[in-house]
Amino acid sequence: MFNRPSLAARIICQFIATIVALPFAFVLVAIVAKSFDGAGVVANYEAVLTQTPFGRSMLNSAVISLGVIVLVYTCTMLAGFAFGKMNFTGKKLVFNAILAGLVLPTIALVVPLFLMVQRMGLFNNYLAVIVPLATTIMPFTLLLTRNYLAGIPDEVLEAAKLDGCTSFGTLVRIVLPLSRPITAVIVVWAFLQAWNDFFLPLLFFQDPDMQTVTTIPLYFTSTYGSDEPKIFAALVLICLPVAIAYLCLQQFFEKGLSAGAVK
Amino acid sequence: MNRNSAPALEAPPPVKRRDAVGTPAVPTGAGQSKYVPWLYILPVLILVVGIVYVGIGYTGWVSTLDWNGIDPVAEPAGLANYTQITTDPAFWQTITHFAVFALLTITAQMALGLFMAVLLSGSVVFARTLYKIVLFLPVILAPAVIATAFRSLLSPQGSLNAFLTGIGLPASDIAWLADPHLALFTLAAMNIWQWTGLSFLLYQAAIAQLDQDLFEAAALDGASWWQTFSLVLLPQLRGTHAILALTGCIGALKTFDIVYLTTGGGPGRSTEFLTTYIYEQVIEQFHAGYSAALSIVLVILALLLSTVQIRAYRFGEE
Repeated sequence: MFNRPSLAARIICQFIATIVALPFAFVLVAIVAKSFDGAGVVANYEAVLTQTPFGRSMLNSAVISLGVIVLVYTCTMLAGFAFGKMNFTGKKLVFNAILAGLVLPTIALVVPLFLMVQRMGLFNNYLAVIVPLATTIMPFTLLLTRNYLAGIPDEVLEAAKLDGCTSFGTLVRIVLPLSRPITAVIVVWAFLQAWNDFFLPLLFFQDPDMQTVTTIPLYFTSTYGSDEPKIFAALVLICLPVAIAYLCLQQFFEKGLSAGAVK
Repeated sequence: MNRNSAPALEAPPPVKRRDAVGTPAVPTGAGQSKYVPWLYILPVLILVVGIVYVGIGYTGWVSTLDWNGIDPVAEPAGLANYTQITTDPAFWQTITHFAVFALLTITAQMALGLFMAVLLSGSVVFARTLYKIVLFLPVILAPAVIATAFRSLLSPQGSLNAFLTGIGLPASDIAWLADPHLALFTLAAMNIWQWTGLSFLLYQAAIAQLDQDLFEAAALDGASWWQTFSLVLLPQLRGTHAILALTGCIGALKTFDIVYLTTGGGPGRSTEFLTTYIYEQVIEQFHAGYSAALSIVLVILALLLSTVQIRAYRFGEE
């Protein structure tokens, strides 16, 4: 939009961008800085790792995240392929019916979910969190994936069919290798949602051994009272895996998100 | 998981045989007969119907009961729960809060996100990746983390007040989250802080895909910066505006974690959202029937708002 801006214009733009970005950076820096306060960096982080079931809660969150990612990826890719590349009666209706799940707040499902979990005896079972969580994530990943897969030229699939590929063979051998950006989006998004979820574990896991990382701050506030630096050290540790995942897959993630969302 | 995907995995062999007979009426990329697409959709369909639709159906049934959620026996109540909602001042408060919150957060996120996307497009600004990461990192952080952090940073003795005092402002002991006149706006600011990065990212991606000739043509025609922005750029980004307005609206309606973990709907009911009210009614007050009716109202509201917006923007059309 700018054609060869002058040096003065560039400095002004840099200045304005910095002013807007500062409040965002301020909070991020404040969180990390606060975790260095009090007893000192080493003592704070050591306390989090040794005096709480932090490792155990990390493991729980990892199991849940992995389960959600696998479930979301499998279901999304299969359905995305059908919605993006096949014609059948009722397609639009069914797609919209699934998409309606996108607008549904989990809170509206509290009572039925609670009863389902109770009937099936799934309290303190990973499945009680994995399955509902994956279901609420799927409409969004499906929307992006359908848009992305619809963009793959039909000729490529026709060629595979002429060569004797079944539809499932086409999906595995042709479509999946072409879907790396959208795969990154599905994986990162499902991981984010699963790792960051707070509500379902709170509701279905009463066993202290089943705590997930997002419930650790609660545990902290009651146990350590006002020892804020340790709480903030825990916050930093909770954020680390998702931050690393995002930074590693950043380029794929942005490419896939724009390909799926901006048409 | 495996059980769900198994039918789809076993699907292909019969497909091939049927294709040999020929299905010329369907000129799609992948070979198929009539039922094959359904096998691919089956896993998603089972989950969405089994959890979302069964759940809503059940909630709809509970909403016609006078029930505390525990007793084995529940009295039928007809539509009494719904008529109670219409005269419940707490419910109408949550609607007002939603409207204020949605308006503030959506406008600010879209404006800030677009502004930064335009500013960081091209190569005017130095170290663009750094700005991008700073803006987007909040998006990926857990609401539980953000709530805990902000509760401390925004306390009267917290870092924000210390900073404001440090630059000479008289803000020594503002209780950002405990003042009933401020709390809703503080929550809106937290939401803007978290989600502006998403607006920014989507705008940036959309701008990168635009045809640069348009801007050169505008420049040749002597268009001012403002004319180029409002007459060329803004209309081109219609699809992105639509997605952001829609997701922002649904997001505002779904807001729960961050409110529950900071103000819990208080002080008083000054930050009560429909979601926190539903939670309070069922978990703390044991009004399962009333809470279910509120949930149904929430679902209808969400569907209504998104349908209106989708119609308005004709978003989702092929």
